[in-house]
Amino acid sequence: MPDIKKQDTFLSDLLAKETSLNGKSTAIKKLRQKGLEDVQKTSFPGRKDEDWRFISLRELYSDSYIPASQIEVTLPDISELFIEESKNARLVFVNGRFSADYSSTDALPEEVTLGNIADLSADGEALVDKHLNAYGDFEDDIFSSFNTAMLQDGAFIHVPKGMKVDTPVQLLFVQTDADEPYFTTSRCLILAEEDSEITVVEDHVGVGENKYFSLPVVEVNLERGAYVKHTKIQRESMQAIHIARTAAHLKQHSNYESYTITIGAKLSRNEPRITQLEEEVEFTVDGLVLIDGDQVSDTHSVMDHRFSHCESHQLHKCVINGKAHSVFNGKIFVRKDAQKIDSFQENRNLLLSRKGLVNTKPQLEIFADDVVCTHGATIGHLEEDEVFYLKSRGLNDHQARELLTYAFALETIENITVDSVQELLVDEVHNYTSRTLQNQD
Amino acid sequence: MLEIKNLHVVVEEDGTEILKGVNLKINEGEIHAIMGPNGSGKSTLAKVVAGHEAYEITDGDILFEGESILELDPDERAHLGLFLAFQYPVEVPGVTNKTLLREAYNTIAKERGREELDPLEFEDYVHERLDIVEMKPEFLDRSINAGFSGGEKKRNEIFQMAVLDPKISFLDETDSGLDIDALKIVSKGINHLAGENNAICLVTHYQRILDYIVPDFVHVMLDGKIVKSGDKKLAVELEEKGYDWLNDLASVSVNGEQK
Ligand SMILES: Nc1ncnc2c1ncn2[C@@H]1O[C@H](COP(=O)(O)OP(=O)(O)O)[C@@H](O)[C@H]1O
Ligand SMILES: [Mg+2]
Repeated sequence: MPDIKKQDTFLSDLLAKETSLNGKSTAIKKLRQKGLEDVQKTSFPGRKDEDWRFISLRELYSDSYIPASQIEVTLPDISELFIEESKNARLVFVNGRFSADYSSTDALPEEVTLGNIADLSADGEALVDKHLNAYGDFEDDIFSSFNTAMLQDGAFIHVPKGMKVDTPVQLLFVQTDADEPYFTTSRCLILAEEDSEITVVEDHVGVGENKYFSLPVVEVNLERGAYVKHTKIQRESMQAIHIARTAAHLKQHSNYESYTITIGAKLSRNEPRITQLEEEVEFTVDGLVLIDGDQVSDTHSVMDHRFSHCESHQLHKCVINGKAHSVFNGKIFVRKDAQKIDSFQENRNLLLSRKGLVNTKPQLEIFADDVVCTHGATIGHLEEDEVFYLKSRGLNDHQARELLTYAFALETIENITVDSVQELLVDEVHNYTSRTLQNQD
Repeated sequence: MLEIKNLHVVVEEDGTEILKGVNLKINEGEIHAIMGPNGSGKSTLAKVVAGHEAYEITDGDILFEGESILELDPDERAHLGLFLAFQYPVEVPGVTNKTLLREAYNTIAKERGREELDPLEFEDYVHERLDIVEMKPEFLDRSINAGFSGGEKKRNEIFQMAVLDPKISFLDETDSGLDIDALKIVSKGINHLAGENNAICLVTHYQRILDYIVPDFVHVMLDGKIVKSGDKKLAVELEEKGYDWLNDLASVSVNGEQK
């Protein structure tokens, strides 16, 4: 079976075999071809690459992966993963393949398009062909090229001008249990036209404890005055590898508010990249990471301020237990003549164990002078004074530590406006704290 | 109720001796005051009784209702009914007063075989307790002590005492940070809480709070020892003469601010 690193033969072999990938849409076929060429021109990264020097990709390279389409799907009841508020505004993908049975879009106004990229493109939806791959500006990035080379199913959301959608949309990516390691790629394209509003919950779930490689790419375009709230929850299997890219383009008066929650996967990497295309925009790229055991979580973000009057916010919080390893590299660019930028960045790490590891690196490249850039990073343990204070009130050690860890994590979750997502995450934090407080070293 | 016998305490980290043989006995229904200059060891005594891990007991014992509590964790001591109102209450961002108090109240209730309160019952109970220190309900939903003024923190300590209903409370410099009106309100609350079945030990540098809460016994602590005990007249005497005249009672001269 294909070894991912032998890229010169791997992908062409794969594409030749993947007959289901052929046909239907010529636009997608072209993109795939381009992706394939790009993959062949680039090589997979290693420790020597500056952007990958903190983590090892051995976990990825040590196995070979079969395409997810080749494994037999046995799916447990997944209805408990459905978000109440998105009852009829949901797309479900199982191992990267669109599942019409589990999906439902009835709750949305007719003018809003929510559907599968491959189907829509095959049906001649011009918007898909026009915008797909137009925003994922990850140069020389083999992972996004790989994703493009495998393009087929994916989520497409189009919110027309002036339309404010109250119902949050859930994009649920379920990865099943399997005997053999497999890989799956998924794609999202979110187009918010002028003065439109939408809330999207992107949810990656592993239902087993198996190893697989998940490689999602998300593109978001905000036209003038658009407001997109985007929550991403990564709760893949604890053996999984999750390497993701998210790109957002912002035009005047738009607001992109994103929260990325990392709970699962043995190795995960998020690369949010926010690009300001016109003056006067606002964005948030907050993150919460809860890791334990030998989990590795890496966030490499880019906030690219290209024009004047921008307010940006990034609070990236990590809780690290066991031998887990958290990496944060937050790039802030302020281009020449991009004045009146107000940018806040903070990476706060709470280390619960002695063996946990944190690498944090804010990276500011500022070429304008009228700029307020607050940035900082902290690494700390639970405050023993606080623990003593709570214990003196009658809470036992476990309760005190759990409450303090919970309080640390809460700040991010609080801002998420979909109630059941908030509840779900509160439960996840409780699961995490009760699990980690059992086994500390 | 509480008996401290020949208590010797060193700082765990560097072995510095702070308490050098403290003896103290507090019975039900009594109010005690421990006075002494800064640095004499008053707060250390209060923290050691509460079970602070920074200190090591090298000799002596602390008995609560006849049993040694030295081996108990701070929370187990709280379950028995010990309470410490901190000299410097800790800020705990992200945890609301109400969350802490409900969890604490119910944990203690469970340990003491009392009935736990569900959220609605607790709500009623906690509002009734707020009145004791005339505290605004808004404080319930604020993070513990975060952004509170010095006086608000002190009042919040007494509010927590009112909710948890302990058997013996050490109130460490509760009057500092309180203006005169707040001091009157908080003192009234403490007097209301003091009863036949509990005991209070005021720890204070100044005599001021004793104008409002009248102690049955006053002890003077100098250099890690209680060097003199008496009734409330002793407090008045200390206010007039300061602590200097007691120096020869301590084996070593007193460091720190003199009053
Ligand atoms: N954890 C500690 N580490 C080092 N020194 C301490 C510690 N706690 C108390 N001390 C010292 O012990 C002495 C008594 O302190 P404290 O009990 O706070 O006095 P008081 O409350 O009477 O003002 C002081 O000299 C103080 O610096
Ligand atoms: Mg003191």
